[in-house]
Amino acid sequence: MQASRARLFKEYKEVQREKVADPDIQLVCDDSNIFKWTALIKGPSETPFEGGVFQLAFAVPEQYPLQPPQVRFLTKIFHPNVHFKTGEICLDILKNAWSPAWTLQSVCRAIIALMAHPEPDSPLNCDSGNLLRSGDLRGYYSMARMYTKLAAMPKKG
Amino acid sequence: MSKRVLCKFFAHGACLKGEHCEFSHDWKATPNNICTFYQKGACAFGSRCRYEHVKASRAQSSGSSSSPNSRQSLAVDSLSLSHPSRTSSSGVALSPGILSELSASSSPFLPPSKPAWNGSLDDDDYSDNGDNDDDGAGVTRSTRPEDHAICSFAAAGNCPRGEKCPHIHGDICPSCGKHCLHPYRPMEREEHMKTCEEKQKQLEALKRSQEIECSVCLERVLSKPTVAERKFGILSECDHPFCVSCIRNWRSSSPTSGMDVNSALRACPICRKLSYFVIPSVIWYNTKEEKQEIIDSYKSRLRSIDCKHFDFGNGNCPFGTSCFYKHTVKPGSYVWKFHRPPPRRPPPRRYDIVPMDVIFHMFEHLEEWDDYILEDLENEDLNPLERELLMQMGFDTSDSSEDEIDLWPVSY
Repeated sequence: MQASRARLFKEYKEVQREKVADPDIQLVCDDSNIFKWTALIKGPSETPFEGGVFQLAFAVPEQYPLQPPQVRFLTKIFHPNVHFKTGEICLDILKNAWSPAWTLQSVCRAIIALMAHPEPDSPLNCDSGNLLRSGDLRGYYSMARMYTKLAAMPKKG
Repeated sequence: MSKRVLCKFFAHGACLKGEHCEFSHDWKATPNNICTFYQKGACAFGSRCRYEHVKASRAQSSGSSSSPNSRQSLAVDSLSLSHPSRTSSSGVALSPGILSELSASSSPFLPPSKPAWNGSLDDDDYSDNGDNDDDGAGVTRSTRPEDHAICSFAAAGNCPRGEKCPHIHGDICPSCGKHCLHPYRPMEREEHMKTCEEKQKQLEALKRSQEIECSVCLERVLSKPTVAERKFGILSECDHPFCVSCIRNWRSSSPTSGMDVNSALRACPICRKLSYFVIPSVIWYNTKEEKQEIIDSYKSRLRSIDCKHFDFGNGNCPFGTSCFYKHTVKPGSYVWKFHRPPPRRPPPRRYDIVPMDVIFHMFEHLEEWDDYILEDLENEDLNPLERELLMQMGFDTSDSSEDEIDLWPVSY
């Protein structure tokens, strides 16, 4: 309990310091609860998510960093490894490949990497996974692009 | 050197001068037990003084205590004489250094102001006791330069007498920068250089270690709040630094669903290289050799401790032949008789009363676990009786993932 708090506080300070260093990630800690964080990440370029800003919600367990934080997308996203309804993310480092050397910041980076390189073979969003697995890149691209425009981009006008 | 009086510092187990001490490092030597205050005329302890209140005879005192004393008082006198511009206060200001030297040579630490016995007792007779030649440095008693001790003021950093010092000023040691190398004693020089270099190396290593952060708690390992936490946990197979508590915590944490003990928990959190044990160390290493040294000294330390699981041949050590602790087979023990480890204890009958020795054994077990570094034991290693006992006490041993109480204080 105390250890997780101390570590999160360290990370908080690190995030304040690094704000400028990584413009793609904006990590914000909840004002009243250091175990709740939100992050805004920019969709990686040359993907259908380019130009979108996606919001992530972090719920950090008390055993952190011995246990991984629970992360989910708050912004709707069409991606094979993200549950379309709940925003749950299927990522090994958030489950069995977690290591205490990961930080919230590096988890965000891993999620950005996942957006750029989907794993259609372990899909949470079967429709999206099937499009990719059947080789319909164009279909996947246009679907993902549409949802990015709908949910992750500021409305024009 | 006068090897007659037992060195007080040696008697307390810590004489810094080692074999070059002018006092005897032989337990058979008689200690100097004459009260120096009594010599000056007044001892506040009176009859309760632990030192002898006897009149120091010329023969007895000259070699031991009063001679260096009076020489020092002379030195102080000559010092104040040689610096006429200095006031008496400067003489006082110098005295702490002199005091330290005096006490370091275990002689009385104040120049006698009003000696109870003939004040000029020793002033003129240090040539009588020719055998303490380190004192004779200024008196040209011995002509061989290697017999003269070097000036300890200069060796400590600064000699107030400078050029006028009657003692030899040692050469500057390249590593500690002090005038402490005896120009005519090659053995001593070498020894000093060696120890000095080693010390310097260690100091540097410690300085470097200060900066190193643990990747689990993100804090500097040597700046953790409690002393017990200020230790590195070195992984045998890679070079990533962690606190010993953090890495052991991680290695002993219960694997979450789908987490493989070998690939996740026992691997380095950073590079995922598999390591089978963690070596605690207060210092971080710089080279492979240093690491090996730390590991070897740790293992050899453990090898000298009897394995409590093995219990001199009566117990079953879960680590078997790869145990880091000593497995001594006592004559008459199980292993001694049957040449194989005893079976794990049989499943328990329903005890209504738990025998006292089982409780004792269990807690002993928990306590000693702390010492084990092969920490990744499963609950199966609890013997059934202990498990039942724990269950009766209300701890659930089957799944510890949600346990509030850590049954395996392995990591702390």
